[in-house]
Amino acid sequence: MFKINYYSKDNLLIFFLVLAISAMAITPLFSIIISLLKIFFLNSSLDGKFLFEYIRNSFDILFFVIILTSIFGIIPSFLISFFSFWGVNFFKYALILSLAIPPYIFGYSLSSFFENYGTAYSLLKFFSPNIGNNLTLNLSAKTMTIISLSFSLFGYIYLLSMTTFNNQLGNYIEMSKTLGISKFRMIKSIILPLSRPAIFIGISLVAMETLSDFGTASFFGISTLTTGIYNSWFIFDDIQTSNLLSIVLLGFILFLFYVENKFQKKKKFHDSSYKSKKIKPKELKGFYNFLAFFVCFLIFFISFIFPLLQMIYWSIIHSNYFYNFDLLALNLNTLFLILTTSSILLTFAFLCNFGNRLLKNNFLNIISNLSISGYAIPGILISIAVITIFSTISDLLNIELKSVFIGSFIGLVFGYFFRFYSIAFNGIKSNYLKINYQIDESGYLLGLSKVKMFLKVHFPILKRNTFFIFILISLEIIKELPITLILRPFNFETFSTKAFEYASQDLIEAAALPSLFLVLWTTILILFSSKYFLKK
Amino acid sequence: MFFIISFVLFFSIFQSSLSNEINLYTTRHYEADYEIYRKFQNITGIKVNVVSGKSKPLEKRIIEEGKNCKGDLFFLADAGRLYSAEKKNLFQKIKSSLLNEKIPTHLRNDYWYGITKRARIIFYNPEYINSEKIKNLNYEDLGNKEWNDSIAIRQSNNVYNQSLVASLIYNLGEKKTSEWLENFVNNFYKTPMGNDRAQILAVAAGEAKLAIANTYYYALMLSGKKGKSQQEAAKKVKPLFPNKNNRGTHINISGIGVLKHSPNKINAIKFLEFLVSEEAQIHLSKNSFEYPIVENIEIPEILKLISKEFKEDKDTPVEIYGKFQTRSFNLMLEKKWN
Repeated sequence: MFKINYYSKDNLLIFFLVLAISAMAITPLFSIIISLLKIFFLNSSLDGKFLFEYIRNSFDILFFVIILTSIFGIIPSFLISFFSFWGVNFFKYALILSLAIPPYIFGYSLSSFFENYGTAYSLLKFFSPNIGNNLTLNLSAKTMTIISLSFSLFGYIYLLSMTTFNNQLGNYIEMSKTLGISKFRMIKSIILPLSRPAIFIGISLVAMETLSDFGTASFFGISTLTTGIYNSWFIFDDIQTSNLLSIVLLGFILFLFYVENKFQKKKKFHDSSYKSKKIKPKELKGFYNFLAFFVCFLIFFISFIFPLLQMIYWSIIHSNYFYNFDLLALNLNTLFLILTTSSILLTFAFLCNFGNRLLKNNFLNIISNLSISGYAIPGILISIAVITIFSTISDLLNIELKSVFIGSFIGLVFGYFFRFYSIAFNGIKSNYLKINYQIDESGYLLGLSKVKMFLKVHFPILKRNTFFIFILISLEIIKELPITLILRPFNFETFSTKAFEYASQDLIEAAALPSLFLVLWTTILILFSSKYFLKK
Repeated sequence: MFFIISFVLFFSIFQSSLSNEINLYTTRHYEADYEIYRKFQNITGIKVNVVSGKSKPLEKRIIEEGKNCKGDLFFLADAGRLYSAEKKNLFQKIKSSLLNEKIPTHLRNDYWYGITKRARIIFYNPEYINSEKIKNLNYEDLGNKEWNDSIAIRQSNNVYNQSLVASLIYNLGEKKTSEWLENFVNNFYKTPMGNDRAQILAVAAGEAKLAIANTYYYALMLSGKKGKSQQEAAKKVKPLFPNKNNRGTHINISGIGVLKHSPNKINAIKFLEFLVSEEAQIHLSKNSFEYPIVENIEIPEILKLISKEFKEDKDTPVEIYGKFQTRSFNLMLEKKWN
């Protein structure tokens, strides 16, 4: 068997590189914990009863969002996988597009459409001039937050349940048909239990996004854990309490990570069992055909077409704002950020995964697993951590690093690195696990060097999926707001910062155009990779 | 990879090497501001580089950058935030007789200068309320029983509300303000939600009787810039300037200060002086519908029309908003103003 020589020069180099990258990725977590320690010596501005309210609101929202996203995700994926009806092939891809709309943009559309004298009123007025203003949907702020989050996040559950329905269930369903098991029992004892792990991963993704959401809850004015983090800092000037709240949040999210990990391990076991057969969809006729079409259409319409139309409507009605944008610069900035950040993230993730695979060192493994914690820390705290870390290093070493790292592209890319490294690392890891270790051993026995092993053996296998991970990272970067807002250099704008600027001065109609471009980018990226989305 | 890193390095070094420029941190997001920056560059040749964002993160960034801070100026909406930045030692004192001459004393101090002002006033729908009956209304009256289930106002985490309550603490004392808040919050027509404009719309629609909002939101709606339906709604509503028979209506400012380690101090002061020039003041007022800080500056027609009865509270120095903001927010939360 191939043995690792830990003391060889290049292994040591790999060891330290992996250690350095992973350790770097954990620094925000440490920075928060360290500043949290100070809380014991200071009086917190936070009253216990507020904390209770924050947690309660967060849980209320989480609970309903999980229920709604599960309904919106599982029902259409079930219909699309097992039945054939009007537009089934269209909806299969169209429903992923909901992921292109950030929840806060959905929130803007929802509230402006139904507000007093809002878009709904203007539209109806156009057709019948004598109409009064009695169209407002008197929904509470919490309900609107739940609706916005549910319609923009259900895509995760849809995608994951689509993949299990299509890739794993074929054989079982065929078998149960041969055995003459009733439809109800088939759903109850085969489909549900087998697809549960994947659906659970989807739910945990939804839960993470919901818990760390700031844009939507703050727009509707709901005090959640995340908005509490902002409030205690912005109003009470108490960054310690912000950190405390974020640790509570982090606790929840790490718990979800843990659960997800557990299920992912189980899922691997299922995966490796057989190659599954494709399910033959049953053709729906008449009323049922229409019903299935209608359900999918409704979800697609509300989640994607509705906010899109609202933005197009504003962009046309208020076309004068068009001249305020330097569209070329905004597009180039977006492209530049995507390319730089994802190439750095992917390089680091490849290196760490390769190093872990080669060295099989427990310590490195633990550190790399912790390195994904950034995804669970709200963006605003990541950016504060970046500023604190570099200014501390700069002061400690007495070297001028601040102007290089704070308010520069480098600092910005660091911020993205901390936040999104987990996507790159986990994405590559899950595919690396599919490559059999025996391949490595025979390669080394044949005298391949480590570099060659990676370039000639691993990379060609991982290549296809790398593109998919690149798309995932890009989607996040395009939609990202707080890190960009805080860490960017002078005169640097993205579509999301532009949209935010207008929305925060109550010119949502002017925010429509940058939002539209943002959605255009994300839509194109999703369409480019829709095949990967459904095959993964 | 190497190429990209060197590109980034080059880019960021290039960014900071230009000289005839000033660097501005701002929490204001108005397009009119960007036009002013361009005007300033056309006149003086000094380029204004901008980072906009929320006040506390920008504060944090400036503090941590310390002596290496490239920023020259910090532009903030709300006097309380100016106070917070001042207390954290972010600003330096500057000398400019021009600024002192043009800006009234209660709207500036040694460290920062007000540039525009806005009033936080009451809106009502004359279809439901007799104008005569409420013409002498004070903020203090909004706690009265007759306004039960009537008042629309945004949430307590809004800084303009905190400043309004802070001004009441200064004028009435904490105890009276607390009692007033108790009744005032009971008079809300529903749990606060939405921005200032949404409150005005609720009054236009007859859902609430009185709304509290900043003047420029109303002017913006009235101007038609927000579309016909919003203009139609604004026309149903009338503005009312409270406390006009005593200390005057509560106002707030946007203001700016020169940062402590400003590398381009002389240019920064030039920019400040430009902001209070007639040209800049007219431009800001015309586009953002705020009031000019400098007196006797021509204001847009719409603003003239709505401000006939505007009597400004000149007795309450705006910097006290900062002093009392935390206390006012605590009181608001205590009285269940969400």
